Amino acid sequence: MSADVTVTVPAAPEFVRVVRFVAASVGAAMDLTYDRIEDLRLAVDEACDQLLALPGDDAMLTVRVTPTGTGVRVFACTDAPASPGTWPPTGFQEGLAWRVLTGLADDVAFELTDEGASVRMAVEGGGT
Amino acid sequence: MTAAPERPEEDIDEASVQGESGEREELFRRLPEPEARDELTRIYQPLAEYLARRFFGRGEPIEDLIQVANIGLLKAIDRFDLSREVKFSTYATATVVGELKRHFRDKGWALRVPRRLQEAGMKVGRAVSELSQDLGRAPTIREIAQRTELSDEEVLEAMETAHAYTTASLDAPTDEDGATSIDRLGAEEEMFEQLEGWTSLAPAIQELPQRERTILYLRFFRGLTQTQIADELGISQMHVSRLLARTLRDLRRSVGEPEA
Repeated sequence: MSADVTVTVPAAPEFVRVVRFVAASVGAAMDLTYDRIEDLRLAVDEACDQLLALPGDDAMLTVRVTPTGTGVRVFACTDAPASPGTWPPTGFQEGLAWRVLTGLADDVAFELTDEGASVRMAVEGGGT
Repeated sequence: MTAAPERPEEDIDEASVQGESGEREELFRRLPEPEARDELTRIYQPLAEYLARRFFGRGEPIEDLIQVANIGLLKAIDRFDLSREVKFSTYATATVVGELKRHFRDKGWALRVPRRLQEAGMKVGRAVSELSQDLGRAPTIREIAQRTELSDEEVLEAMETAHAYTTASLDAPTDEDGATSIDRLGAEEEMFEQLEGWTSLAPAIQELPQRERTILYLRFFRGLTQTQIADELGISQMHVSRLLARTLRDLRRSVGEPEA
């Protein structure tokens, strides 16, 4: 597996499970260990939860998982309306999500991109 | 139930009280005297544990199951009527099993998890522990799949299932065999409050049961992997995964993030 895997689901909590599963599958193909797969799932949960907090009717959540050979990069975004005033959330670096995400993954960033509000991160093997 | 029952409850009854039925009856007659109650509890402890083990592998730690079984046993002892034409072991078995089933029902397990997934979860949990020992590191999904003879997808599905249980209560009593290491960590754990960035979360974290707090601390402050945490606390990796997922979910609800 070398190509990106992208899934788009309605921006609702019941679809996060699908996203989590897809991310875990790509991670498994990269031979991430059980521990790292669990980290990846928790991180995806946390990132999606953050994005779902943005209000938006019929918003969609898109998650792109890129295999890196030794792990995955994840880019999650939503088309819910967002502006520099609403994303990243004020004081997000003092919040639980940030602590958790940076504890589980590397290169974590909350950004407002062309595709909308986004969270990206990387989960690599690391042998443990 | 895949774990074969090695010791039918009748055998335990025979083994424990063989030739002592008179003495046992006497103990029941002396109830509610605390000494008699204690003695009966001691005699029938193996039965309670045996029954608890029959429910193991469904996502609940064995120590919790034994505790539930013991509650059932005490109820049985208190309610048993000697004048009835029924052996105590038969009566107690029904009461204890009833208590265990209620425990699972309350937690939303038995009704929601198809047996196939329960069994896959059990196999995966075991394989993760065994392989971690063998390899000296956490296994990959492929390695787990090979060991369990499940497909990669089935392994992932079992892991997902383990996460899906959000209904289990967070106030489960702290397990006994984890106590030593938890005690040892107690002092370090107090540092939680002082940690920059966690400070705003401290009130919610303080409300967590000690084991959950310790897991958070070990994962996010000490940076231990889930496998290392499992070793430290003497519980399975899968149980750590489940507790961690549940705790984070719970914290998200109770803390909330700074409003956008």
